[in-house]
Amino acid sequence: MWTTILCLSIVLFSVVSQDVYNNVVKERNDILHRELDMMLGNDIELCDSEMKANDIIMDLKRQEIEGGFLEPQAFNLSKHFFEYKDVVKESQLFKLIQKMPKGAILHAHDTGLLSPDYVLNVTYLPDLHVCFEENDIRLLFSTNTPDETCETQWQLMKDARYSSGNVERFDSELRKYFSIVIDNPSEVHTDVNSVWLKFQQYFITTGAMFGYKPVWEQYFYDTLKACRDDNVMYIEIRSVLPELYDLDGNVYDSVETAVSYKETLDRFMSDYPDFYGAKLIYAPLRMVDAKTVKQYIEIAKEIKRKLPDFFAGFDLVGQEDKGSPTKDFLAELVEARWELDYFFHAGETNWYGTSSDENLIDAIVLGSRRIGHAFALTKHPLLIDEIVKRDIAIEVNVVSNAVLKLVEDVRNHPLASFLAQDLPVVLSSDDPGVWEAEPLSHDFYVAFVGVASKHADLRMLKKLALNSLYYSTIKDKDKIAHDFEIRWTKFIDSVVRGNVFY
Amino acid sequence: MHGLIISALLFLVGQTSARVLSNKYDADRHILLSQEAELFLGSGVKLTEDEAKANDILMHWKNKEVDEAFANPEHYNFSKHFFAYRNDVSKSKVYQIIKKMPKGAALHVHASMMLDVDSLLRLTYEDHLYACYGDGDLQLRFADTVPAQLCPFEWNLLSDLRNASGDVAAFDTELRKHLTLYTDDEDFQNSDINTTWERFEKVYITVAGILKYRPVREKFIYESLKNFYDDNVMYVEIRSGLHELHELDGTVHDRMYFATLYERVTEQFMQDYPDFIGIKLILTSSRSKSPEMVRQRIELGRRLKKENPEFFAGFDLVGQEDRGRPLSEFLPLLMEAKEDMDFYFHGGETNWFGTATDENMVDAVLLGTKRIGHAYALMKHPMVLAKVREKDIALEVNVISNVVLSLVRDVRNHPLASYLAFGLPVVLSSDDPGAWEADPMSHDFYVAFVGVASRQADLRLLKQLAYNSIKYSALDNKGKIRLFNVFVRRWEEFVKDVIANDSLEV
Repeated sequence: MWTTILCLSIVLFSVVSQDVYNNVVKERNDILHRELDMMLGNDIELCDSEMKANDIIMDLKRQEIEGGFLEPQAFNLSKHFFEYKDVVKESQLFKLIQKMPKGAILHAHDTGLLSPDYVLNVTYLPDLHVCFEENDIRLLFSTNTPDETCETQWQLMKDARYSSGNVERFDSELRKYFSIVIDNPSEVHTDVNSVWLKFQQYFITTGAMFGYKPVWEQYFYDTLKACRDDNVMYIEIRSVLPELYDLDGNVYDSVETAVSYKETLDRFMSDYPDFYGAKLIYAPLRMVDAKTVKQYIEIAKEIKRKLPDFFAGFDLVGQEDKGSPTKDFLAELVEARWELDYFFHAGETNWYGTSSDENLIDAIVLGSRRIGHAFALTKHPLLIDEIVKRDIAIEVNVVSNAVLKLVEDVRNHPLASFLAQDLPVVLSSDDPGVWEAEPLSHDFYVAFVGVASKHADLRMLKKLALNSLYYSTIKDKDKIAHDFEIRWTKFIDSVVRGNVFY
Repeated sequence: MHGLIISALLFLVGQTSARVLSNKYDADRHILLSQEAELFLGSGVKLTEDEAKANDILMHWKNKEVDEAFANPEHYNFSKHFFAYRNDVSKSKVYQIIKKMPKGAALHVHASMMLDVDSLLRLTYEDHLYACYGDGDLQLRFADTVPAQLCPFEWNLLSDLRNASGDVAAFDTELRKHLTLYTDDEDFQNSDINTTWERFEKVYITVAGILKYRPVREKFIYESLKNFYDDNVMYVEIRSGLHELHELDGTVHDRMYFATLYERVTEQFMQDYPDFIGIKLILTSSRSKSPEMVRQRIELGRRLKKENPEFFAGFDLVGQEDRGRPLSEFLPLLMEAKEDMDFYFHGGETNWFGTATDENMVDAVLLGTKRIGHAYALMKHPMVLAKVREKDIALEVNVISNVVLSLVRDVRNHPLASYLAFGLPVVLSSDDPGAWEADPMSHDFYVAFVGVASRQADLRLLKQLAYNSIKYSALDNKGKIRLFNVFVRRWEEFVKDVIANDSLEV
């Protein structure tokens, strides 16, 4: 259509010579192409079958975006995640991305990965006691009635459930404690603090239940399983490493908790030898004093000594706007930096010129291997340069940033400009279970359709998967890249044959 | 024993080196921060002693606002829709300072949406105004007898309807809703971009009906200029398509007449307010029009430029970019016109990426646009960004407009933050302030300064933004110097006033 108009206009206004016109059109296309050549994924060469798969993928993607462009009210990804998280599962492109080998999850918190339905099932285990308090519940495994104080009274979950008269309703009420998904997020989650309170409450409520050693280990085992099912082959998991307990009165400290992870991993690997493995980033809470950070560091060093192949590094977690800024612990962290690799959260904020976005500086200066979120990075041009120079990967979690109220319409997420500039990005999912997302597929889908350029194609998807391997702490990268390539080839084959959707 | 001493020594050495190291890191950190501060827009401005004093006052209040919001984001206004906090803004000391601040020029405003809604409502009290209430729509038109234009129901004199209503205040409240987008309705605040624009276009049609009547348009222009002048704006570049005007008896004036009307009213205004520098016109065409119609508008531009080069600044295409034609469809036409006139194109007023809309920025730049309207999608286009720098193309940023017209909610996510950080050539403007009941410029400056810019951004940024509005205006050098001189004088008064103002005392 538009070519006709152009041709027509050329006839009408032949004053502009064809040459001049052609030159401008050429320059225009040149700029657009050069931009595409700058984009993340530009160095990926697609083979014939990949190009066929790409045509299929891009057809699906174009349909979704062009539909949204014409009817923005129908564009799911500009809405709240809770509104579209289930709808998009029907999308063919989503299904395809689910089947796609996505490499590694490099930014996820251990007890936030599984769905509320899974957590609800945990409450069916024997010996779980519950205490109903005014606005919360407390959960604890114990052979006898727990000694801990309780505003009402401790009872066996089983008794509470079956004396409730309506198990289904009891469970659906209970489930609400294990998810932050609600029907009216714009009315309830009105600001970053209100949603963070709900978010943190999940960890507080489930903390003691997950701290029961058998549950702890099973949760981790099932997390690995869920990642594998979502076509993720490896995970670097962040944990606060809480004390664990069992029914015999034993208590296990952070180091022993790490050991229990390693043992669980070994068990999983022998059951599923095609999984590539997991490593641990010790990531305790940031809302503490320098002395405590010093203790954290000692714990980290001990875990590293004990489990050198399992331990990846150190981080501090918690809402950045409220926690202590990283610079408060500069002396401690500087001292430990030769012994520990850092993977700091930084700039998970939409403030500008505050301690939260300035955490980015400290993360860089302290030699962080990767940075969690870096949402505020586009406001810090020099830090962008540093990140490129030092090849520090940015762990981007789009869905998390939307749910936790940093950005509403994901098209405004800074990831778009990270991708345009080919910054070293890896996609991850943070705490997908808490908002009922898949371990990684939702984040890939939203980033690919909602955030990236309409022109971004299979090369970007492949590069993102490869980045997650490249920026991991895996030593033998050749081997995992090789394993990935085998899976990838199979995936491409299934796309081309059209059986990826079944 | 020896072992103990050695380990004690090692411990001490460890402590010292840690301190030395952390000092070094502190230094590195400091260097990075200050280098970044140097890139920031306005970092080159040197403050006089008085300005530094005023800056302390300004920053005291700004930091107070930002820090309180940082600690209590539930009270933070700018993360919400503009309508949710519009009425609270006047309490802010920072706003009170900005309100009085000379802002230089307004370079991106559309003619029909310059006036505040109360003044507009007053214009509906003029005699001979007919109204046609349709299904949620309202058409208005001045005429000495019932207008010939189609009305699905019937034309009535607005004064008759108003008097018959029994409750003039309630009638005007209802009428007002047709003249502004402003509403408490949260559903509207959450609506998608097409729904918002459809509402916006309805308001435009209602307002435009009043403004086709020559005597009312004359008043409208004068009062609009007064609004901007009172908001401490000294020069305006107005975007207008210059439609036909009519008299009561149906006599029609052509578009050229409209241009001379602008000049006449402005001249009158400048006589009344001699430190107002004037206006220029950026002639516009709707981007939904056919190339042939756009060509005719460009032809009008040529005539205007020939007959009054002082008044004519250049040409632009307007309307919702996602739905209109991309610039590339007009390429041959615009390339030809490029020889005869300057361009001030809208480009990338979208949050799409990889579509015709954001790619408009490429064409705007290649067509040699002097400034880009909005360029909201610029951070997604590194090559265009490089061209913007290389060719020193100013970005006309309208933060509140982008919120109201459904591009962004929390202004901290507005790309302006990055433009300022990179020191890009930014000018602030207000687009259609009358349509959302914003001040001519003060609300936009305030939101950009407190909500979007770095917490550390200070008076130097504000001054640079005002400077930029002069530098990137379409004025010739003589004009710029005149504007600059007025600005400097007014700025000095402003600075003195901030220092002397008791209500701002720290």
